[in-house]
Amino acid sequence: MKEKTNRLGTFYLSLFFVILYLPVLSVILYSFNASSSTAQWTGWTLDWYRQLFSDRVIAQSFRVSIVVAVLTSLLSAVLGTFTAVVSQWVTARMKTAIQGMMILPLIVPEVALGVSLLFFFNALGLPFGTLTLVLSHSLFCVPYVYIMVRLRLQEIDKSIIESALDLGASTLQMVRTIILPLVAPSILTAALLCLAMSLDDVIISTYMSGPRSTTLPVHIFSMMRVGVTPKVNALCTLILMGTFFIIGLSQLVTKNRRFAK
Amino acid sequence: MRTLKRNLLAVPILVWIGLLVGVPMIFVVVLSFLSRDNLGNIIYQFTLDNYRRVVDPIYLRVFWNSLLLALLTALITLVVGYPVAYITANLSPTRRALSLGLIMLPFWISSLLRTYGWMILLGNAGLINNVLMALKLIDKPLPMMYKFGTSLVGTAYMLMPFMIVAVFNSVDKLDRSLLEASYDLGASRWKTFFQITIPLTLPGIAGGFTLVFIPALGLYFVSDLLGGGNTVFLGNLIHTMATRGRNRPLAAAFSLGMIALALLVLSLYWKVSKDKTGEGLFQ
Repeated sequence: MKEKTNRLGTFYLSLFFVILYLPVLSVILYSFNASSSTAQWTGWTLDWYRQLFSDRVIAQSFRVSIVVAVLTSLLSAVLGTFTAVVSQWVTARMKTAIQGMMILPLIVPEVALGVSLLFFFNALGLPFGTLTLVLSHSLFCVPYVYIMVRLRLQEIDKSIIESALDLGASTLQMVRTIILPLVAPSILTAALLCLAMSLDDVIISTYMSGPRSTTLPVHIFSMMRVGVTPKVNALCTLILMGTFFIIGLSQLVTKNRRFAK
Repeated sequence: MRTLKRNLLAVPILVWIGLLVGVPMIFVVVLSFLSRDNLGNIIYQFTLDNYRRVVDPIYLRVFWNSLLLALLTALITLVVGYPVAYITANLSPTRRALSLGLIMLPFWISSLLRTYGWMILLGNAGLINNVLMALKLIDKPLPMMYKFGTSLVGTAYMLMPFMIVAVFNSVDKLDRSLLEASYDLGASRWKTFFQITIPLTLPGIAGGFTLVFIPALGLYFVSDLLGGGNTVFLGNLIHTMATRGRNRPLAAAFSLGMIALALLVLSLYWKVSKDKTGEGLFQ
């Protein structure tokens, strides 16, 4: 009986993962198709990748995206960690208020958030571009840093903190020498997640992009609306490889640190 | 005095959220009561016209489309994702880690790429049609793109990991001895599942439902690419009104309608899970 359900379970799980990854794999596969249509397979080629590197619009929007993503994850790492650490000290009521406010950007649908920021920045006369992109992206990134760092903080033995304070360390010293090193891996993971989320955002970026500062996903979206072209496949595949490279690198960093201990 | 000083530390956070969420939301509320001229410029004159249009039968239809899409998305992700979460929670440690990794990996893959993948699979010249034609099962391509169902498949696919992770967390916390007690007392596997497992994992189900329902209301790029605009959803409408349509007051009124729908689902979540701040949703 148990054996039978186990086999059925494994089958279901395998089928699920095949369907989960089939769309992704077909994007990668067709980026190497010599024919420009998915109707037929006419052999392998790297032409679509070559075309990408000579496309100046893509290069420009890629630069915008990278700058925005790096600035967003730096800002979010600082603000999110600050919020998480501060929420340990404030009164219980303030702590609940902070918790509520941190999930606010995550529960308002992204279109509504994007439109509201569009109206607001427009009224302020702020130029749309890197600044508005970073500010709006940090809105959905900070909460994730806050949550991940706070989860780690809860695991920290309170007596370490108390003994540091008893031995005469100032609060600032204690935060710098004890709390920050302990939560550093969480901050790193969260910052990478921010990087990925910022690089991937379409909805809010559509409203925040300026005339010469379109982000890569906004540009890709406009390319996709025209239909299926192998060039889009090649671009998506490259982005995917880049993302996996970053994740792999971060895994390596955190593993090495563990061994160093 | 000391508590006051400690709370002062929270001021930067309050200012940040207030400026980027609070104030813009006030703008949306004010804007939703204003009019505009033919060029799309805002006229500072109070009107209820935008709300009159929100409840116009034509636009109510858009609300209905979005509600249906979000509800069906949540339902599909639950029915497909619950077994995945349940089976994964019962695997041996190594296989469990592998399965969890495969479930979480899509979070890192571009959502545009994942939507585009379905365009390649479902198109008239797409992979599925090619395979079916090569097998001589059909002689002309099945039209699968640009339908309500296509948007539904894409949206459910996009949000599936959220549901699985939410359910997994509560299945994982399940006290196994309760299940054994149920078997010992003679209950069948199905009876145990529906009377013990489901009620005990209800907070996870409610959390997953909320996490899937709210974004499903607004993922307009999925319905745009896969649905081709044949069915108009709230997200597409707000997007068009705010940009090309040049009707910001109306976009504001519809945004508030969308937020109201999201809050409705959130209040249901609060009732079921007793998670006061909603923070439990994101852990």
